[in-house]
Amino acid sequence: MSLPRIVAVRDTCAVTFALVLAAMFAGVTCAPALAIAQPSSMFSNLANPAIGMNALFSGLAAHNLNQPYGLQFDEAEISLISVVDPYWTLTSNIVFLPDGVDPEEVWVRTTKIPSVQLKLGKIRGMFGKHGMLHTHAFPFIEAPIVMSNTIGNEGFKDPGLEASWLTPLPWFSELTGGIYQAVGPDGDHPLDLGSSRHDNVPYLGHFKNQFDLSGETTLELGQSFLQGRGTDGHRHAALGADVTVRNVPATSSNRHGWILQSEYLRKQSSIGGSTIREQDGGYASFQYRLSQLWWAGIRGERARKSFTDFVVDDAGDPVAAKVTRGSANIAWMPSEFSFLRLEYSHAKADAGIHPTDDRIAIQMSYTIGYHPAHAY
Amino acid sequence: MKFLIRSLFVSMIALLAAVPAFADLRVATSLTDLASVAQLVGGKHVTAQSLCRGYEDPHFVPAKPSLMKAIQHADVFVSVGLELDAGWLPLVLPGSRNPKIQPGAPGFVDASEGVDVLEKPSGTVSRAEGDVHPLGNPHYYTDPKNLKVVADHLAEVFSKLDAANAADYAANAKAFDERIDTSLEKWEKQIAPYKGAPVVTYHKNFVYFAERFGLKQFGTVEPKPGIPPNPRYLSDLSERMKKEGAKVVLYQPYYNPDPCNQLAKRAQGVAVKIATECGGVPGTEDVFSKFDALVSSVAGALSGRTGGSR
Repeated sequence: MSLPRIVAVRDTCAVTFALVLAAMFAGVTCAPALAIAQPSSMFSNLANPAIGMNALFSGLAAHNLNQPYGLQFDEAEISLISVVDPYWTLTSNIVFLPDGVDPEEVWVRTTKIPSVQLKLGKIRGMFGKHGMLHTHAFPFIEAPIVMSNTIGNEGFKDPGLEASWLTPLPWFSELTGGIYQAVGPDGDHPLDLGSSRHDNVPYLGHFKNQFDLSGETTLELGQSFLQGRGTDGHRHAALGADVTVRNVPATSSNRHGWILQSEYLRKQSSIGGSTIREQDGGYASFQYRLSQLWWAGIRGERARKSFTDFVVDDAGDPVAAKVTRGSANIAWMPSEFSFLRLEYSHAKADAGIHPTDDRIAIQMSYTIGYHPAHAY
Repeated sequence: MKFLIRSLFVSMIALLAAVPAFADLRVATSLTDLASVAQLVGGKHVTAQSLCRGYEDPHFVPAKPSLMKAIQHADVFVSVGLELDAGWLPLVLPGSRNPKIQPGAPGFVDASEGVDVLEKPSGTVSRAEGDVHPLGNPHYYTDPKNLKVVADHLAEVFSKLDAANAADYAANAKAFDERIDTSLEKWEKQIAPYKGAPVVTYHKNFVYFAERFGLKQFGTVEPKPGIPPNPRYLSDLSERMKKEGAKVVLYQPYYNPDPCNQLAKRAQGVAVKIATECGGVPGTEDVFSKFDALVSSVAGALSGRTGGSR
């Protein structure tokens, strides 16, 4: 009974072998014709994301710092933005630094819910005003000292979920809430939110109101709050308040205008029912646009119990101090896509081996490709 | 307690004030000309507002949060398209949290669709040529005929979103087209004596007007889009203008008048402030009054009768 089956299998094998041979022959003979007939864009690039890059270089002359003078590469930020599907838009900013790569922001956004914007992914958390800026958009080359001592030099960046609601009030009034991954303190996150307890979900609240004082001048008020449990088991939090008055003349919006801005930030912890203020401080700055090509700015700031690069002890280790700093800069922008800035700052500290610090910095920024507009 | 009651009362009043006024369609646009066309096509069924004011540079509108608020409840958003509003719209549209007007939604309109676009770059676009518009010149609204394309497009969109009033939208668009045709005859007659005359503009936002009315775009005050002029460039341009008889410099209210006046003075010509967008100068509240004023200003300057710093 099994013989016919074997024969049948053998027959099937022979047929298959013949077919494969024929297919190979056809493939070899027809390949050039097929290659010619193939469309040149077999792999379509029409739906590629918008791509842009910003490169930042700087030079610093600071006699208190033990570092050689010269031009240095600060970072290259590659941004990719595209619609994912009818529901989501993906934004990513990948930053290449001299010592590695940081996927600074990778998040999706939906505006499918009326009055609500939902963001999820690695987000720049909606905290404060300066913390929302990318490095090349800082108004001064160096961020205020209080930033790196409270929420991070470049703001609070953490994977999470954020929803912001545009309230029905007659002016722009936005309420944002977010929850984030528990992260311990590191170079980017001075705030300890890293408890592995299951009830530890760091959360953020932000309230922003903006009023048109006239057709050209606006007032913006913001309050921020961020809290979670730290690796030490205690509650840690950051608080912030900001006020910005901005003027953009209607008939010379790319030639004149000014921004008056002030912000206060505090980092604190709660131990045994009492709240301990760890670091806090703030700044006030004024930027003035002189012409299409020139901007100038001044800033005064103070940070308490804070660490910064020139405040060190005899062994070169950082020490906390009350630091007061004044900065002035001037920027030349030959086009919308590049600028050159020169900045001078003078600082005083009440601890460490250097009671004062003077420095001059220069920064160059170049942008290619698509660059999303900066927030107002 | 009194404070709490007062606060609640104030909040309730504020919320009531926030309820938008009734209209069949609330239309927002990125340019005053588009709002004017939308209002004329929509008639009583539409309330149209523009985010950019007529005397404001449409390339550099500050993306104020109040603009996001202004379109939170809009049914339709009309963008100029061709990336003219690309510097601020990508912030304002998502910031409105209004799903009805996001790109891809039925309420989002690219008004440039159907327009014959001029100066489409061929080959690679390079910013060595300044801040060029990679999709072509987006200032098509300076040709009255292009506004007919916009009107017909808007009538179609409004009819889809508000089918009950479709007949009114179609009739209004037809009336708009006819009025443009009649007015265009008048405007062409006014400019006809100056056909082929050279004009210098601050930016290349006059090419559609020049093409329609047979004027020659001689040069621009800015050497490249977005790059302000330097003295050497102005000197060279004024020499060329003198040599070739170009005497009229046109600039919008949002451009720096100083280099325009300097150039006109050196070339022994005139610098004239014009409105290419409705509301740019007084008396240009809709697209018809805008073209009336624009054609009169240009004809007046070319005739040598009117102008700024002759």
